Amino acid sequence: MKIPLHMAKEKDLQSAGLVAVPEKEQQQALLKGIDEYRHWARSIMVMLETCTKCGACANACHSYLGTGDFNNIPAARADLFRKIYKRYFTWTGKTIGRYIGAEDYDAETLAKWVTYFYQCNECRRCAVYCPFGIDTAEITIAARSIMSAIGVVPRFMTGVAANMIKTGNNMGIPKPATIDCCEFMEDEMREETGLEIKIPVDKPDSDILYIPSSADFFSNVDTMIGVAKFFHAIGANWTIPSTVLEAANFGLLFNNDAMKEQNQRMRDAAKMVGAKLVVQGECGHGWRAAKMYTEGSNGPAPFGIVHILDYAYQHLGKLKFEKLPWRVSLHDPCNYARAGDIIEQPREILKACVTEFVEMTPNRERNFCCGGGSGILMDEMMDIRMQLGKKKAEQVKELLPLDFLATPCSICKAQMPHVMKHYGMEDLKMGGVMDVVGKAIVLA
Amino acid sequence: MLYFVGQVLPYIAGAIFLIGVIYRVAGWLKAPVPFQLTLFPAPTGGAGRVAAVGTELILFKSLYKNDKNLWLWAWVLHVSLAMVIGGHIVGIYFLMNQFTLIGMSSSASQATSAFLGTVSGIALLVALIVLFYRRLANPEVKKLSDPADYIDLLFVLVIALTGNHMRLPGVHVDLPAVKAFMGNLLTFSPTPIPDDPIFIAHFTTVMLFMIYFPFSKMLHFAGFLVNRAMLVEAAPVYPTPAGTPLRSPFAGAKAPVADSGQAKGVQA
Repeated sequence: MKIPLHMAKEKDLQSAGLVAVPEKEQQQALLKGIDEYRHWARSIMVMLETCTKCGACANACHSYLGTGDFNNIPAARADLFRKIYKRYFTWTGKTIGRYIGAEDYDAETLAKWVTYFYQCNECRRCAVYCPFGIDTAEITIAARSIMSAIGVVPRFMTGVAANMIKTGNNMGIPKPATIDCCEFMEDEMREETGLEIKIPVDKPDSDILYIPSSADFFSNVDTMIGVAKFFHAIGANWTIPSTVLEAANFGLLFNNDAMKEQNQRMRDAAKMVGAKLVVQGECGHGWRAAKMYTEGSNGPAPFGIVHILDYAYQHLGKLKFEKLPWRVSLHDPCNYARAGDIIEQPREILKACVTEFVEMTPNRERNFCCGGGSGILMDEMMDIRMQLGKKKAEQVKELLPLDFLATPCSICKAQMPHVMKHYGMEDLKMGGVMDVVGKAIVLA
Repeated sequence: MLYFVGQVLPYIAGAIFLIGVIYRVAGWLKAPVPFQLTLFPAPTGGAGRVAAVGTELILFKSLYKNDKNLWLWAWVLHVSLAMVIGGHIVGIYFLMNQFTLIGMSSSASQATSAFLGTVSGIALLVALIVLFYRRLANPEVKKLSDPADYIDLLFVLVIALTGNHMRLPGVHVDLPAVKAFMGNLLTFSPTPIPDDPIFIAHFTTVMLFMIYFPFSKMLHFAGFLVNRAMLVEAAPVYPTPAGTPLRSPFAGAKAPVADSGQAKGVQA
């Protein structure tokens, strides 16, 4: 099955600081990339050489369960990489390749890689169920990074990267628009509460640097409002940075160098305002990048890093709520539960804010991905995105009626409305956990 | 020929096994782990991490919560294999009298040893056959399998068959002679292999398997440990404590200069 992904052309690559490799040099360049990567990160060799093809991952993967495509079984997906790796980098692969399942690079190799490594949401659910803990997300991250280095990358990714380079956020919001947007939200809050609740931009001498998702300035305004009310309630000295108005780090999803660069932006911004604490907004993979990749990307960090949901949870005792009469459930973003240790905090916050909280099944680290994870948000991928979201839809359907479904991650927030509409649940209201905080909180 | 099988081959096999396994595992360990791959909820503290990996190792916990049927047979396979390997070491060394150490009489110990050995040998054989069948019968697993996956199972199956053969009623193996032969091998003063065709067949297949081992997926036992160790690593702490070493050269390299937006942003 070929996917309808639009790939970056030369101009797109340039705008993201990448270069294309001519077609006849692609094989050599890809193999060189694999060779460098395997010496760069231990996980690749270990995970590629350990799989016993037991097939236990098949039923753990929403991508396979949703599409029914054999190559979306995690072991089969990793095998697309493994076959090439074995053929060119192991003795047995070079001598008795067919016997161990090695395969020559051919005209189809890259097409297959693009097709299947862009149907993996990097959700890590297979790692939870694999007897060895083989994490196919690691293989996907490696494959995408290696491909992007030779110019094989979706246009969607280079578009995001170009916006990041130009404006410091994925949406391409320039600073004047950011300030306008903040003033708009401040007006909204003044009308609602009668209070002067500020959203400071680039304020020097701030203790806290809050990094929102840029989508919180477009479609998820309620999340940003909830965060502002929370910071107001605890009397925090905080600011948002116009230079990296983006909790997401798409580098993690297509190119490790881009990931490193964006991580440096966060450090620079924290230094610029003198923040001792960086608080990350509602963004799944961005949280993973901040928590798990900051030290590994650019070395020791002199400031604390905490997630807004963890931070709000720590202050829960000091906040006053008027419980909303809602029946609410939580969709655990993959990068919170499995990759970022944000598991109980959103539950406790929601229980404090609403009258009825229900769990979906499975939940926590066993939860299914929304189907948009790892940045599979391209319009042209809509059919496949709906298949990737099938398990999620089945989970949610069992809980209806719901007044609200908390999906505290910008990618989930972008993907879920499409999924719900596709599976006949278009009336379901969804949004972040901080949205609920903003609605239930009682400010003095 | 018997001279080669009994007094030369074991040293070739042992050397290839040891060097091969060390070479491959060292190859993995040479590469850095540039980022913590902690899988949450994660155990905390050294003891917690050992316990988490230990329960995976002994009980196959992840597989249990995933596929109980596969879990059962994979678990039976590995436990009986561990019993068989352990039984070979103590059973041969003590000539089946190992249970006298816990107060049994010599005849009771020999009976217990024979019973455990027989049960484990049969369990191993059955588990291998079931898993071989599963590989063919489950269409997803069949499509995933490489020829080597079948051969791996068959190889162990042949070893189990020749081993179980020695336990058939009416078949007698001279255990003291085997013990003397093994002892001499391990002290590098090899003596001729006991002239028993069934034992020679069993011994030879094991030697061939040891040669095969480091080139094959049998190394999944080491992959398990190296991989699990990455998944239970402690998550990073911020601010980074003083004296934390760089995880890899990647962390030390200067980030590509973030251009226009970064430079202009604040002054704009």
